[in-house]
Amino acid sequence: MTSVLLSVTDLCAGYGPIRALRGLTFQVAERETVAIVGANGAGKTTLMRALSGIIPLSDGEASFLGRNIRGTSSHHLARAGMLHVPEGRGTLQTMSVEDNLRLAWEIRPTAVTFGEALEKAYGRFPRLRERRAQAAGNLSGGEQQMLAVARALVNRPRLLLLDEPSMGLSPRMTGEVFLSLAELRDDGVAILLVEQNVRRALQLAQRALVLSHGVFAASGPSDELSRDPAIVASYLGQSHDAPPDNKRHIANDPRR
Amino acid sequence: MLVGLLINGLVSGALYALVAVGFTLVIGVLDKLNFAHPEVLMIGGFVAVVASGLPPYYAFIAAFATGGLLGLVVEFAAFRRFTDADAKITAGLASMAVGLVLTDLTQKVFGTESVSLPIGGGWLSRRFQIAGVEFLNVQIVIVLATAILTGGLHVLLQRTRVGRQIRAVAESPVSASLLGVNVLRVSQAVFFVSSALAAEAGLLLALRSGAASSDIGLTFGLKALAIMAIGGLGDLRGAMLGGLVIGVLEAFMFHLGLGRLSELTVWLAMIVTLMVRPRGLFSSGTHGLEQRA
Ligand SMILES: Nc1ncnc2c1ncn2[C@@H]1O[C@H](COP(=O)(O)OP(=O)(O)OP(=O)(O)O)[C@@H](O)[C@H]1O
Ligand SMILES: [Mg+2]
Repeated sequence: MTSVLLSVTDLCAGYGPIRALRGLTFQVAERETVAIVGANGAGKTTLMRALSGIIPLSDGEASFLGRNIRGTSSHHLARAGMLHVPEGRGTLQTMSVEDNLRLAWEIRPTAVTFGEALEKAYGRFPRLRERRAQAAGNLSGGEQQMLAVARALVNRPRLLLLDEPSMGLSPRMTGEVFLSLAELRDDGVAILLVEQNVRRALQLAQRALVLSHGVFAASGPSDELSRDPAIVASYLGQSHDAPPDNKRHIANDPRR
Repeated sequence: MLVGLLINGLVSGALYALVAVGFTLVIGVLDKLNFAHPEVLMIGGFVAVVASGLPPYYAFIAAFATGGLLGLVVEFAAFRRFTDADAKITAGLASMAVGLVLTDLTQKVFGTESVSLPIGGGWLSRRFQIAGVEFLNVQIVIVLATAILTGGLHVLLQRTRVGRQIRAVAESPVSASLLGVNVLRVSQAVFFVSSALAAEAGLLLALRSGAASSDIGLTFGLKALAIMAIGGLGDLRGAMLGGLVIGVLEAFMFHLGLGRLSELTVWLAMIVTLMVRPRGLFSSGTHGLEQRA
């Protein structure tokens, strides 16, 4: 059987007096793709931040590859293979596209040379090749999102934490991004995905967890959840392509 | 005459620039004001005293190492614990305290009077002429050393792995650490390099004046602060340009017989610059690093 990458038990976290997460328990196995869905303010971003060590756990336990996440700093987790692509992308605006990619590649020594990794990323996102020397801050929102995903392609993490990768993207670019994610998934990268476009998220992931006010309200295999009338009513709505809430805010941008 | 004046100004300016670049690097990357910086410069002068028997080559290495190590000490003693945004003032004060300790220790060892360099004369003070303009060897050394050090900093920031990490931290420590960058190591690297540059400037200053004294820190430090403000806090190009311009302006003021007033040059220049451009010549703030060092 596959082994557990990420193991979370009774996790609580928040911001001072605000208890955003109140006892979450779940696991992500190697090569598994798990989606987390939930309304705005449910605590999805907070969960990602707690897992990657940006904010401390106030209670409970979490471990990644056997390392206790409490007391392991963000950069150690990243080097161990957890790549958190935060809401608002976390690309380095003053650095060139290529420097962003090189930074992501350098951190994790792999057999792949930077040139090869770069070719692959540019092959997927030709726009980025055209803009390679541009500062990331001069890219359009969609191009920056491509850069954030391209960074994951060159970093080759064990576990990818993705917070709303389709935010601000056109339907066509959303398709491109999800194709890349499917490729990563098929290459064996485990993915924990937060996504407003629930339909797409459930297509990509094997299973999903529904987060509501800091606790899991439901969970199960994606195909079951996508047939669940309650889920359909709350998150899938009538429309077929547009996400239920195509928001563009970057209020929770972790960059200072 | 005019050319000689210009050269004198550029030589002083190079020294200002070297101090200001190191000073501003810590602001640009870490958003911290290191008040111990000028005292590291001061100690660089005493490295010249201690190493005066050795070939100059050794003095440069010794100053670089001494400055760098002092930078690590300052980072640990004054900044490591004060990481919150509201602890900035505390950290600034702590660094000032470290600076005072450095001054005191230096005075314990070398006394409060300035110490002249035993062989301050010799090769460095030899003159030569190119096209009728007279140069001192020490002037060439200062300009070359500044060019090499700032050029080296530029290459470090733009072309190396550490440099990429430094630029990433300058922009966003959180985003950088999510990519596996150890922010503490980067801080240490920045303090090391910044203080090494300060000590080199102190060494060069002592070679030029033929003496080292324990009380230059304050004057030089305040001037460097003003130069940083002129250039735009945290901007390396600004510090470089500001230093050179102030050096040349001062030389001309001095020449015009405004000797006393020449000390005011930098402050007048700062007030005028900030009135026109409140954020300095290059207002890129923490984002000025990708441009020329
Ligand atoms: N920096 C912060 N300080 C204080 N409270 C915060 C902070 N960030 C988020 N919160 C609160 O924590 C709760 C969870 O927020 P979180 O950002 O995790 O939601 P989310 O599920 O990611 O929402 P969205 O879909 O809008 O991104 C919310 O009630 C929010 O108001
Ligand atoms: Mg969110």
